[in-house]
Amino acid sequence: MTDRELDPYVEWIAREAKRAVAIDPMAVERVMARIRLEPLPRTHSPRWRWILQPRALPISPLVGAALAAGLVGIGILLGHFQIDRGGQSSTGGPTAFAVQQPPLAHDTLIKFVLVAPHAATVSVVGDFNNWDAQATPMTRTPTGGTWSVAIPLRAGRHVYAFVVNGANGTTQWVADPTAPLAPEDGLGAPNSVVLVGGSAS
Amino acid sequence: MSDDAADVQRVLSGDVDAYAKLVDRYYDRCARFAIRMLGNRDDAEDALQSTFLRAYRALGRYQERDRFSAWLYRILVNQCRSIAARRSHRERVFVREEALLLNAPDKTPAWSGEDEELVQRVLNELDPLLREAFLLKYVEELSYEEMAALTGAGVSALKMRVKRACDKLRERWERIRDD
Repeated sequence: MTDRELDPYVEWIAREAKRAVAIDPMAVERVMARIRLEPLPRTHSPRWRWILQPRALPISPLVGAALAAGLVGIGILLGHFQIDRGGQSSTGGPTAFAVQQPPLAHDTLIKFVLVAPHAATVSVVGDFNNWDAQATPMTRTPTGGTWSVAIPLRAGRHVYAFVVNGANGTTQWVADPTAPLAPEDGLGAPNSVVLVGGSAS
Repeated sequence: MSDDAADVQRVLSGDVDAYAKLVDRYYDRCARFAIRMLGNRDDAEDALQSTFLRAYRALGRYQERDRFSAWLYRILVNQCRSIAARRSHRERVFVREEALLLNAPDKTPAWSGEDEELVQRVLNELDPLLREAFLLKYVEELSYEEMAALTGAGVSALKMRVKRACDKLRERWERIRDD
């Protein structure tokens, strides 16, 4: 649709909404006052850049056995970490889980796994990567439709979802069917919650 | 190297004040989207504060191959979504902005408060997903591909949202005209 096709009233709304808004002159200073309380932003060391590169990752024997036995979608307990089902049916849809790996430095390596055999590409998005669908692509396992990625996360609560791109060009945001859902965001896109260093709520 | 990339490098080298240039450069445009999206200035300022704070914390991960504005907008869109979600638990009340406008610099002298209130009220009546798509397309003038990168939604879904938003706005106009 081009501007020329807009209804005159809709065009008026768009034109009026484009007008600059009046800004409190102290607003930018308030932002900077808050920023000055922060430590300098961290830059990734070469080690972290290596970790963050997408690559095929082996799934532990326990997880492999669970997949083979058709237990995907049932709450998985590994080590000290547990994600309960969010009450959603996984029939016909992608199935996923996040697994806490042994701690690395100050962060914890979290593996996200999604079973989506018909997807062309999959990525994980969340507050940890600013919801950037290009930032954290997942890698398909050689044997089938399981996608995974491991990323270091700080301790605390993280909200995330999967972005599943189909071969036909469709894109879907998918909540993790094995994890608790985040509170509704009011926009119809469900997200999931993982607590690093504790249980999800 | 772009001005944005140079400022990012200065911040990462320890010059925190260089971040003020980035905030100055983008605050107005981000404020317009946040106010139109959220419908009131208190929520919009919350969204803006958290957007620039999160962007600062994540600055080490900003890749120069991306446009800083697009990267920042991704964060802003998500912050507006988060605040809209928190607000959904309380009653939505449209707040008249005249008092705030009187205290603000005279940047929009030709725009009457009545028009602003009407435009904001009509936008507020849209479903948030439709409002977001409409604003990104016709106010921020992004391409559908840029919108897809920001929102994670597919191009076809975004086109449908924009069309539905326009249909709703047209229906609203017809109701006003018939009254």
